[in-house]
Amino acid sequence: MAAVTHQAQAIELSGSRSVEAASDHELLAAIRDGDEVAFQEIVRRYRNPITNFVYRMLDDYDRSVELAQETFIRVYTSASRYQANYSFSTYIYRIATNLAISELRKRKRRKVVSLFSPFTNDDGDPIELDPPDLNMLQDETLIANERRRAVARAITSLPQKYRAAIVLRDVEGLSYDQIAHTLSLSEGTVKSRINRARNLLKEKLSAYI
Amino acid sequence: MNSCKEVRKLIDQAEKPDLLAFAVTEHIERCSDCERFASGRAGLRKLLASTARVSAPVNFEAVLNARLAEVKSRRLFRWLSAPGYVRLGAATAGLAIMIFAAQYAGLFSKESDRAAQTRPIATASEPATPQSKSDVTAASPTNERKDNSIAQPVNTMRRREVVLGKRIAPAAVFTAEDGGVVIVRGQNGETDIQIPTVSVGAQPLLLVGAGRRVAPTSGTSF
Repeated sequence: MAAVTHQAQAIELSGSRSVEAASDHELLAAIRDGDEVAFQEIVRRYRNPITNFVYRMLDDYDRSVELAQETFIRVYTSASRYQANYSFSTYIYRIATNLAISELRKRKRRKVVSLFSPFTNDDGDPIELDPPDLNMLQDETLIANERRRAVARAITSLPQKYRAAIVLRDVEGLSYDQIAHTLSLSEGTVKSRINRARNLLKEKLSAYI
Repeated sequence: MNSCKEVRKLIDQAEKPDLLAFAVTEHIERCSDCERFASGRAGLRKLLASTARVSAPVNFEAVLNARLAEVKSRRLFRWLSAPGYVRLGAATAGLAIMIFAAQYAGLFSKESDRAAQTRPIATASEPATPQSKSDVTAASPTNERKDNSIAQPVNTMRRREVVLGKRIAPAAVFTAEDGGVVIVRGQNGETDIQIPTVSVGAQPLLLVGAGRRVAPTSGTSF
């Protein structure tokens, strides 16, 4: 049911049910009542997905961890205003997406230039400088690392509006409906952006597909 | 029959690359371009999904709790911030204005009430004189009176037994109809004035010895 009231979700987490068995909405209701254990459970459930998502958006691990922590702080401080109309994952990804996009805009204003993309095309989008590596590949680990770096660079080189949609869909595995709610877009716009992002990534990653 | 554009749209929007509708699968088997598109999309999605995921550091929760405690303390003392000072100053000024207005309004209301209470008593025809001082002091006169009319509104005074003229009034509360006027010593303009002793000119010479007054004898000089 979409509209679930907080009162119905408010259960005694310290009673018969354990915190691990509680749903996200129930944990949020407990957090609103000041339950620190419920907040720790939410952190335990979402710390890795949120950190990974922000890292895919920024390609900066340290800053990604900081923004992931900021995401949880905002969840805690705004728990009283949380509306359980959609899934909690949509809600927390929305906060993380807004923080990541804000960080990208700050970097753009600061003219932060990645070492991997020091040049831009006519549209202002960064052009990935990827000189060929003439060295011999040593083993499978090196190949996997190289593939990971290539994917990270390709995602980072995407325009911002395509980046969030493709990461939420193909990296985090959210549905189109969830992505639409997370990004406050129509489902058709989300599908269009994901299609454009895949076309761009296909060109950049053709050697690895 | 779906066109290649529609089929590619359905391929791209499929929840999973290998979960395609029967019509789409049938089209792919006959169209090599759409087959390459489907395999390319499946490979790309597999590549993106198979990329190693990063995890939160081991001290993630410790740092988060420290930051959260900082946020809580900051929210606790948020009213001390610069905008908080402005709000506090505005609230203080507003409170001072309200207090001043209340005092100003109360001053005028007391004056009007007092005038309304003293008016009928001042025109009373039969003045009442208390017989004893205790009756007067029991009246507890106010200190704010400066005129000579009455120390306190009579209708609020209780008496034990007061002689009004030649009859004894029953023990009750004086009202304006009783027509009494109570004069309170020291409170109605009647004051005691103490004049200090002033010595002017020469004083008679007295012989004082051991506390007794001694008359001077003849042949003796001082």
